[in-house]
Amino acid sequence: MNNSFPRLIEGMCATLRTEVLSRLDDEFARGQVFGVINLLNTFKVRADWSAGFLLQQIAAQHAALDSVLALVKGQPSLRAPVSVFAKDDPFSTPINELLAMRDQGNRSISEWLQWLDSEKGLDACVADAAIGLLREAMRAEVQIELKNAPRPLFAEMSSGSEN
Amino acid sequence: MTALNDEAALAKRIADYLSQAVGHQVEVGRIRRFPVGFSWLTYAVPVTGLRQEGDVQELILRLGPDYGLFAPYSAMPQALAMQSLEDSGIPVPACYWNSDDVSILGAPFLFCEKVSGDAVVPWVSAHEPALEEGYRRQLAEQFIDALAALHRVRWQEKLIAVMDTGITAANAAQLTVEYWEAQIGRWAMRPFPLADWGIRWLKDNCPVAPRVTIVHGDYRTGNFLEQGGRITSVLDWELVHLGDPHEDLGWASLPMYMGGSKLICRLAEPDWFYQRYSEKVGFEVSMESLRYYQALSLLKLAATHMAAARCFEEGRFNDMRMPAMGSQIASALRQMEKTIDSAPAATRNRQQAGALT
Repeated sequence: MNNSFPRLIEGMCATLRTEVLSRLDDEFARGQVFGVINLLNTFKVRADWSAGFLLQQIAAQHAALDSVLALVKGQPSLRAPVSVFAKDDPFSTPINELLAMRDQGNRSISEWLQWLDSEKGLDACVADAAIGLLREAMRAEVQIELKNAPRPLFAEMSSGSEN
Repeated sequence: MTALNDEAALAKRIADYLSQAVGHQVEVGRIRRFPVGFSWLTYAVPVTGLRQEGDVQELILRLGPDYGLFAPYSAMPQALAMQSLEDSGIPVPACYWNSDDVSILGAPFLFCEKVSGDAVVPWVSAHEPALEEGYRRQLAEQFIDALAALHRVRWQEKLIAVMDTGITAANAAQLTVEYWEAQIGRWAMRPFPLADWGIRWLKDNCPVAPRVTIVHGDYRTGNFLEQGGRITSVLDWELVHLGDPHEDLGWASLPMYMGGSKLICRLAEPDWFYQRYSEKVGFEVSMESLRYYQALSLLKLAATHMAAARCFEEGRFNDMRMPAMGSQIASALRQMEKTIDSAPAATRNRQQAGALT
C-alpha cells in the first residue's frame, strides 16, 4: 500500500458518512454503516500495516546490497552503501521505522544503480552482476507487494455494480 | 474553492460570466455534476437565452479544482487542442469559452458543446460479454482512423502551435521522459528505484519520432462517446501535448485497457490496428518505438497512481478510488520492467553498452 494506515481509515469513515449515509434511507442499513465506522475507528487505534511483508522486502534489499558491496570491493571510486537495518532485531521494530528502513533501502538501491551507471572504471562483468542483484531486489519488492494485494475492482469502481 | 461545492453559487457565477461573454442576460438552471473522472470536474449546465430568448441549451463545463489529481491546472492546452481540431474530421466537442482566471468561477474552466453518446468502459469484469462483432469492428475502424487523423494534423498552422517549445523528432521522447520524471519527483511519497531504473532506460533508448504530432495523451476506450456504433466525440484532452505519435499507440495498447481480451482497448486486433493506422497516417508503425512507448506509458500510469496516493494522503479529498489506484503502483512498475525486458536484444545491448563504457 502507498497510503498510511490511519489516513485510509479516516478516508473510509469520511466517505461512509458523506457519500453513503447521505444516500441511504433504510434504518437497518444505516445502523450497519455506523457499525462499520465504529470498527474502522477501532482499527485506527489498534492496528497497523503488517510487519511480515515489509520484513521480507527489507531482507531482499539487505541481501542485494550486501552482495553488491562484496562484488565491488576493491573497485575504484567506491563509496560505502547505507546500512539497511538500523536495529539488531527488526522484528521488534515499530512499523513506521520499518517503512523508513524500506525507503532507505530503496534510496540506496537507486544510488547504487546510478553509481554503477556512471562509474566508467568499473569492470563490466562486475557492474553487470551488481545491476542484476539490485534488479532482483527491486523485483522482489514489487512481487511481495503484488502477492499481498487483492484483485483490483476497477470494473466495479467505474460501473458501481458487481456482475 | 469551496464555491465549487456550492452548486447554486456556482450557477450564479456561471450566469454572470456567460451573460458578459455573449453580451446579454442569460439564465442558468440547476447544474448537474457527472460522477466521472478523477481529475477535472464535469458539469451539465442548462442555459436559457444563450442564442435566442427562451432557447435552452445544455453546455458542458469542465473545472480544474486546485485539489484535483494533476493540479494546478490550466484549461489552455485542451481548449487549444479542441479549437485546433475544429473541421479536422476528428470528432471533438466545440470549445466555446475558457479561462485560467480563478476569480471567475473559482478554478480554471472551459465551456464546450454537449455531445450525445455513451462511453465504452475499458475496465470490465470477467463475466462481461465481449462487444458484438459488427459493432466492435465499426467502432474500432473509427477509433483507429480518428487517431491517424489526429496524427496527420498540420499543427504548425493551428492555434496549438503555441505549445511548441522547441520539440523535434529527435528530442520528443527525451522531453516526454523528463516531463514524467519531474511529475514523479512531485508526486512520489517514497523512493521507487524501479521507476528510477525505468527512467534511465528510457533516457538511454530514446527513439526518433517519425514526425512531431499532436498527442492526445490518454487515447483509449472510456475517453470517447459513441452512439449507435458511431464515435460522436473524443474527450478528455487534458494531457494533450506535442510529441511522438507512437506515444498514443503505446498508451492505447496497454494491457489494462484490453478488458481481459487480446484486443487493443477491447476493440481491435493489434496487427490489424497497426496496419490500418499505418495506411491512414502515412508512416509505418515502428514496433521498437511502440514497445518503448508502452514502457513509457506504464511509467506514466505508475506516476498517475503516485499522484492519486498523494492526493488522498494529503486529504485533498476522500474519494476511496484514489488509494485503490494508488495501490497499483507496483503492478504498473512490474509491467514496465517486463516490457523493457521484452524489448529487442539490440536495444537492450545498446543500453547496456552505453551504461558500461
